[in-house]
Amino acid sequence: MSAIRVDAKVVMLGKESVGKTSLVERYVHHRFLVGPYQNTIGAAFVAKPIQVGEKVITLGIWDTAGSERYEAMSRIYYRGARAAIVCYDLTDSSSFQRARFWVKELQNCEEHCKIYLCGTKNDLVSGDRSLRQIDYHDAQDFAEEIGAQHFETSSKTGNNVDELFQKVAEDYNSSAFEYMTEETSVDLGQKKDSYFYSCCHNN
Amino acid sequence: MDAEAPRAAVSWENGTLAPVDHLRSDRADSPTPGLVEGTEPGAGQKSAMFVRAQSFEDLTAESEELIQREAQLDKPIESAEELEVLVGEKSIEEQHNNDVASENRTKEEDVSSEAWRSHRKHVFVLSEAGKPIYSRYGTEEALSSTMGVMMALVSFVEAEKNIIRSIHADGCKVVFLAKSPLVLVGVSRTCQSDKELLRELQYIYYQIVSLLTLTQLNHIFQHKQNYDLRRLLAGSEYLTDNLLHRLDRDPGLLLSAVTCLPLPSSTRDVVSSSLQAAKAKNLVFSILLAGDRLVTLVRKKDQFLHHIDLNLVFNLVGSSSSFREGEGWTPICLPKFNTAGFFHAHISYLEPASDLCLILVSTDREDFFNMSDCKQRFLERLNKRSAYQSLKEALKCPSYSVEQVGIPELRHFLYKSKSSGLYTSPAYPVVYQTDEEQERLMGLYQDLHSRLHHPTRPLRSLYRCTESENLMAWVTSGFELYLCFSPLGTKALAVSAVTKLLKWIRKEEDRLFILSPLTY
Ligand SMILES: Nc1nc2c(ncn2[C@@H]2O[C@H](COP(=O)(O)OP(=O)(O)O)[C@@H](O)[C@H]2O)c(=O)[nH]1
Ligand SMILES: [Mg+2]
Repeated sequence: MSAIRVDAKVVMLGKESVGKTSLVERYVHHRFLVGPYQNTIGAAFVAKPIQVGEKVITLGIWDTAGSERYEAMSRIYYRGARAAIVCYDLTDSSSFQRARFWVKELQNCEEHCKIYLCGTKNDLVSGDRSLRQIDYHDAQDFAEEIGAQHFETSSKTGNNVDELFQKVAEDYNSSAFEYMTEETSVDLGQKKDSYFYSCCHNN
Repeated sequence: MDAEAPRAAVSWENGTLAPVDHLRSDRADSPTPGLVEGTEPGAGQKSAMFVRAQSFEDLTAESEELIQREAQLDKPIESAEELEVLVGEKSIEEQHNNDVASENRTKEEDVSSEAWRSHRKHVFVLSEAGKPIYSRYGTEEALSSTMGVMMALVSFVEAEKNIIRSIHADGCKVVFLAKSPLVLVGVSRTCQSDKELLRELQYIYYQIVSLLTLTQLNHIFQHKQNYDLRRLLAGSEYLTDNLLHRLDRDPGLLLSAVTCLPLPSSTRDVVSSSLQAAKAKNLVFSILLAGDRLVTLVRKKDQFLHHIDLNLVFNLVGSSSSFREGEGWTPICLPKFNTAGFFHAHISYLEPASDLCLILVSTDREDFFNMSDCKQRFLERLNKRSAYQSLKEALKCPSYSVEQVGIPELRHFLYKSKSSGLYTSPAYPVVYQTDEEQERLMGLYQDLHSRLHHPTRPLRSLYRCTESENLMAWVTSGFELYLCFSPLGTKALAVSAVTKLLKWIRKEEDRLFILSPLTY
């Protein structure tokens, strides 16, 4: 077994129960778990390789809890992230307020982090349009204002989920190209000079 | 029932936190040396893994001096009408019809219903300002007036420079535990003693502290007395629910101990040494669990884990499927170690569908990738020495049947080695297959336990016959033993069974216990 090699750190942010964990489950394990809601404790990390053109890029995805209890800790999860998927629930307007909070937080603390605004549970609103509380165009306007990509997904049906992460990986790939032409990936087995090691110690 | 009086004050009373090294020269074949702590079957060979806190005395020690005072409060107190709100029949309905917003009731259970009132054990947590924080049944909102009354009771008695300990009325016990800035209240219809109920409330208190730290709790309430703590605890209620469920069922919580996965000692030693080798600068504890059984625990030299903290970790891991998704990384306060700060735990299963869960506890919140690396190194070693296969083999039979012991009429037992803080117990036999039967048996054990550990009149042994089983309990400075026989058993049989059982445990001890705990 070799140490995990991670190219890009991706963080999932958003209010509790908007569907961050389900999004990661769908993307990584191609499944949707039903049953009683299990909130994430602290945060969960998973590494996922993804094909971009000729290359394989490994995303290191941090799924955070989103609860107030861990708010003070949240910086360690998004620090050094190349991408943040900020989620809100299409059927819950308060979750959009929370998304705005995270966007502000990222703009203040992580200017190099690309933001992906993601409206979740699309299947619910396509089944019953009266459930929609966040207008598509309002969210789109907000996304443009902050220079973010905007997606609406369903982890239940899988709608738009792969597209979201594919876009994240492609954007990383082209931006990594811009910044440096050298090998940018990190072998986490060699902790000392790893990307994570350094990014975690410059607070 | 007959009993012997204790001979001397028991050794744990000078509750030091440092474990005593047991300099045992020989490990006698005869089980009777088990009478002395450190020589009993299951005692560790080198040093203890846990903080030396053998008994639940440790949990209630702080409140011990108040027990005397409790005697005075045992008699009915004056505010009888207020009491009725808690235990009475009609008044509770009136109370709620008046001042509870009705939409809250539909969310969960109707708190004015007969069903709500007839739960065997209620637990409420409130702030000193009387704000609801947690209720086992029903929503906290719907119960805010009830909690207000509880707080009024607490302050009413405190105003007289007394402390309210418990109220007994109408087949119901109300127990109070004031742990500033929280107040915990248990309302029980069980026959558990006040002390047992207090012990359970202590656990709930520690559960909450483990999520927030005491420092943070104090800080919050110093700044805002009527802060609504549920905001910070949101999403964690099920941890407390689950802990309460365990308190009714898990012998480990009763005995202040944990149990191990039966494993050939050669395998366990390889697992332990592989964990020992996968160390890191800030790594303090490495814990491998199989379901709710301990496979091994390796700790930093001179750092000890308390069984309460370990049981809280068991509860955290066992309550949540969230760690199955990837590698978990979460702050956790281990209140018996230090109530002021967070450790950071790397929690992951060795394989997605496996029962084996590895918990690496670090002091550094930036240590995730270091811990992840430790896990990889551990797995590599384990695989290299092909111990992983035998470990998985052992997982297929995580328990043993009482028949293996070969004692007629013996149905079940709990044996705790005090010096190691580990216990062993066979699988439930067919007569205790249902949840209700298992909880009933646990109730019997709880009863024996509270008699043995009676605050003013502790017993060393006791034999008791009920309609459906005969029970025996025996405590020495080395071990605690609880046996359950079929009603056909006799006292003479029980007494001879003890020697036989101790012999059997001695013979099996290197499979059932962790005899050589390691440190790094
Ligand atoms: N219908 C539907 N339900 C979803 C979807 N995503 C999540 N959920 C549900 O929303 C709840 C919260 O999901 P979870 O992923 O745990 O949220 P998190 O707290 O943000 O991680 C769960 O009960 C999920 O089953 C979705 O795309 N469609
Ligand atoms: Mg989640």
